[in-house]
Amino acid sequence: MGKVKALVVDDSKIMRSAVKRALDQLMLADFEYVEAMDGQDALDKFNDEIQIMFVDWNMPNMTGVEFSRAVRDKGDTDHIPIIMVTAEKSMGKVDKALNEGGANEYITKPFTADKMHKTISRYFDDDGNIIGEESEEEEEKSFFSSILKS
Amino acid sequence: MIPKSLNGINEIPTEIIGLVKESVINTFASIIGSEPSYIEQNGQAKSLNGIIGNIAVFNQQHTLSLMIVIPRETALKLSEVFIGAEIPFESDDMGDLVGEISNILAGDVAANIETVGFRGQSSLPTATRGSDLTLFMPSKPPTEKMKFVGPSGEFWVNMALSESR
Repeated sequence: MGKVKALVVDDSKIMRSAVKRALDQLMLADFEYVEAMDGQDALDKFNDEIQIMFVDWNMPNMTGVEFSRAVRDKGDTDHIPIIMVTAEKSMGKVDKALNEGGANEYITKPFTADKMHKTISRYFDDDGNIIGEESEEEEEKSFFSSILKS
Repeated sequence: MIPKSLNGINEIPTEIIGLVKESVINTFASIIGSEPSYIEQNGQAKSLNGIIGNIAVFNQQHTLSLMIVIPRETALKLSEVFIGAEIPFESDDMGDLVGEISNILAGDVAANIETVGFRGQSSLPTATRGSDLTLFMPSKPPTEKMKFVGPSGEFWVNMALSESR
């Protein structure tokens, strides 16, 4: 099973544990976790080894949406799935997280392992490797390589 | 719709109370797996040995403060359901848990009261633990106390509506 480095961002230790426990139960991959207690801490810990992120919204110092936006603004991070895991559930908030924040998915708390599975399983292949969304640069590369091959 | 000025308003609008009640029932049902019952006689225990989660949903005009009052025994049972194991009442994790429950409730309340024109956002939660606590609700802003009983025990949700400053 592939090793996947996941960044879990929540100011609640209990919720970080709940996310990790749910992911371990799903056995979609062999996860290695990096934990952060707010958006700023997450930004400090973010590096190019991170393959998927589970991000709370309402946190001190820097919110989850601000963090997601900051990561997307770094460029070449579109292939890293950002899953918002939050108590905010109004449609306006969902829209803000997905559009302004650049998140890929939205899960409301409290969540079940089943709900988590339905939301994130499409990001993993059968061998437990992550399938990220291709960045524009990668899309361009694969477009040209397909032309060359044909 | 809540009037901008709360001068002369002595009670929280019944539609807000109803929506908060609905949110409490939905939130606790999603956490513990079955709906808690609302108890009409909402008299609060004279002194509390337990933990209180505080959070607010606010906008520029109004602040709806929520206080989730959880007796020790209920808190311990809730931790068992939420975490899968009982966590010590005196631990930081217990405060963390009650803060998170407050956060989840406030998220549901915020989404629910949007339907009556109160578009707000949640504050960060805080939790207070203690024994022999007496809760005083201010008399000036309109307040409401609601009692619930569920499989994890009894708890109260108090709320106050005030003008944002």
